[in-house]
Amino acid sequence: MLDYIKQWLERRRAGQIGAHEQDNLPAPKSAGDQLLSDSRLIVLDLETTGLNAAKDEVIAIGAVAISGGVIHLEDQFDLILRRPELDISETVLIHGIGPEALTQGHETEDALLYLLDWMNGDPVLAYHSAFDQKFLEKTLRVELGYTQQHLWIDVADLLPAFFPDAKTGGKRLDNWADFFGLEVSERHHAAADALATAELTLVALNKAGKEDVKTLKELNDKLRYHRRLQNMHRF
Amino acid sequence: MASNQDSNRPQNTRAIMSFLREHAPFSSMDDAHLAHFAEHATLRFFADGDEVLSPDDGVVKRFYVVKQGRIRGERHNEKEDRTETTFEISRGECFPLAAIIGERPTRTLHRADGDTFCLSIEQDAFITLFSESDPFRDFCLRGVSSLLDQVNQRIQSNAMASMGSSNSLDTPLERYALRNPIVCSPDLPVRKAVARMHENNVGSIIITDDNRHPIGIFTLRDLRTMIAEEKGPLDTPVRQVMTPDPCRLPADADAFEAAMLMAEHHFAHLCVVDDEQRLIGVVSERDLFALQRVDLVNLARTIGTATHLRTLVSLRSDVSRLVDAMLAHGADSGQVVKIITTLNDVTVRRVLELNLKKNDPGIPFTWLTFGSEGRQEQTLLTDQDNGILFRTPEGMTEEQVREKLLPFAQTINKELAECGFTLCKGNIMASNPKLCLSDREWDDWFIRFIDASTPQNLVYSSIFLDMRAVFGPTEPLHELLEKVLARIRKNALFQKMLAGNALQRKPPLTMFRNFRYLNEEKKHALDLKRQGLAPFVEAVRVFALANGVETANTLERMEELAKRGVFDPKDANAWKEAYSLIQAIRMRAHQEMLDRGEELTNYIDPDDLNPLDRRILRESFRQAQRLQQKLEVTYQL
Repeated sequence: MLDYIKQWLERRRAGQIGAHEQDNLPAPKSAGDQLLSDSRLIVLDLETTGLNAAKDEVIAIGAVAISGGVIHLEDQFDLILRRPELDISETVLIHGIGPEALTQGHETEDALLYLLDWMNGDPVLAYHSAFDQKFLEKTLRVELGYTQQHLWIDVADLLPAFFPDAKTGGKRLDNWADFFGLEVSERHHAAADALATAELTLVALNKAGKEDVKTLKELNDKLRYHRRLQNMHRF
Repeated sequence: MASNQDSNRPQNTRAIMSFLREHAPFSSMDDAHLAHFAEHATLRFFADGDEVLSPDDGVVKRFYVVKQGRIRGERHNEKEDRTETTFEISRGECFPLAAIIGERPTRTLHRADGDTFCLSIEQDAFITLFSESDPFRDFCLRGVSSLLDQVNQRIQSNAMASMGSSNSLDTPLERYALRNPIVCSPDLPVRKAVARMHENNVGSIIITDDNRHPIGIFTLRDLRTMIAEEKGPLDTPVRQVMTPDPCRLPADADAFEAAMLMAEHHFAHLCVVDDEQRLIGVVSERDLFALQRVDLVNLARTIGTATHLRTLVSLRSDVSRLVDAMLAHGADSGQVVKIITTLNDVTVRRVLELNLKKNDPGIPFTWLTFGSEGRQEQTLLTDQDNGILFRTPEGMTEEQVREKLLPFAQTINKELAECGFTLCKGNIMASNPKLCLSDREWDDWFIRFIDASTPQNLVYSSIFLDMRAVFGPTEPLHELLEKVLARIRKNALFQKMLAGNALQRKPPLTMFRNFRYLNEEKKHALDLKRQGLAPFVEAVRVFALANGVETANTLERMEELAKRGVFDPKDANAWKEAYSLIQAIRMRAHQEMLDRGEELTNYIDPDDLNPLDRRILRESFRQAQRLQQKLEVTYQL
């Protein structure tokens, strides 16, 4: 992973990709008529020092890409950010990431630029995506001054929208992973959680295809409709 | 260093590698190759019932490993117009093998059985692994049943049919009478090369360079192709139409290596070369197998002409060695058990002949065998199950005949025991007055047996339905069998009871298709004879008897049932194969017990098997379940 970033940065500095700026980064895509079966989707998971986006920080980013309804393992992102100045004792136990691993990491700015380039402006999926979105957007804003918004899709909405009758016994990633019998290689590792989330996304996309939800827009509409339905039930 | 590399790999790559490591063939592959697989893999999801791979998809371009869930192979049974599952592929198993290696479409529809995730690599990554990883290549080739069959069939049908020997496949090639190779230079016109082959009455010619290094081979088959495909005139230099870079082996390689190489590459000829790669001979498929007929035939003759019991006893260890060698060379178990039976028959006959010379009771009789010997399915672990059939001479009563025959039979039983045929615990032996009967008495016995059987006595008596004559006139037995079969065919109740009895022994698989072990004490033991083979033997026996099939051999019964349209030919093949594979695993276990000096048993621990054998065993048991299902449907049990 680090080698990839190094190479990428070298090329970028050499002017092959562009200057060390944001102008030539790919622009985020919106939910249009692109077919789900043709789209590239980013499935991402962050590990953070805590739950408060205002004061906590991102430690690790794991992401895999789904293209053509298939997870391509050569197209993945697995990185621990360099955050030596942070006191991370709070969440170290959960993530299994000790401070010494962090200092071995890379320059945050470079890594984030690489991430944005790798994401290619494609839609981003995450489990309880509001959390990841808040943290990632804050980090990108603070570190790079980057403010463009990606299209985010919450896998926690996606699953009940397509499997309304599933008795999962809860709404957490673990509940759905258990429901579909998935094995998560290392829970609370960003990349492993991202892969599990992506596997659940494949299940949902398979169902979407059978329910004639073909485009990104149709998918987004379905989720919006589902959310509205949920809210109605709530009142 | 390796662990250091490993920690540099992304988490998900490492996770896939450790998943792969749990399963064959990945468990024996290098980390670099596993990483190559993991990094080039895609992960796909198939919902329950989704098609994964279909014959309509064209040439297979992708290789899959089941990560979670199950894939089933489907075949349409046209006769009964329904879909049947032909195989199942579960977690950690790979597919398709034959199609991707054969670069053709799959022949079976692969469908997800439950929600299923598969890891998958493209053809180019497959080829990289296939060419770089020996364990992976071995597995793929072994797993491809068509290819495996080819290797086996060629070796067996040639070597075994010509009665393979204990050691000739180990013979170095240099000990073969290598034919002086017919050679030519690359520029010789094809016409002249063929003339030279014709003059020497050979099917191939080796093209060599100035240093006598083989650079190509030209065979009659190449000539046929050349003419059929109009590749050029007969004046073409042979170099343009030869097969370049012919297969070669050093002179100290053994015949088995040569046979494997030939079978694998479909070559009928191999060049034998010296240390400096110079041609010293050609060995053909026919040469390899010509030397083989010696041992078995010789052994059989030695047994058949032995003059003392002592000699017969000592020859038994030769039988064991022969079996050992045949199994080691991957011989087909159906043929091995027949060969064992053949040698056992010869032994039994010789014991009878030697005793007749010494002490002839003066009354003609037919020596019968029952059960596995009757079915010609004996392994090294074998009991005596025998009896006598006689025609009462005029002026004698049956009791009077027995008075003369029983002491004789007693001697025979005792001497056979010395030769290694264990005395039958159930006293199913010719020296038992109840089994030394006249034709009329046997017939009465069967009438009572068929008309008045209870499920209980059926369990003990079904071995009498697998009966064969080993010595003496066969006509009396044939007449008896005809009557017995006719009665069984007419008696639906007996058939149904026999079928119910055959279902008593279930193949040792749980609902989840794991192995079901014998009991709590023998936690990891499977009884390959009672749990594995018996379901086949007994189910097939019912169908055979109900349809008037006279042979007792299980494989032959299945063949005959397929011929008569009782079994679907594809089913019959799958069942024959499954039966043979269980038998092969059992016999291999026997040889290993012999090597360790242990008493022979039919128990194995599936954990001791390699993963491929375990998978074969599981699939074989599943076939037994299918056969029993057919029995249930047929007899509405």
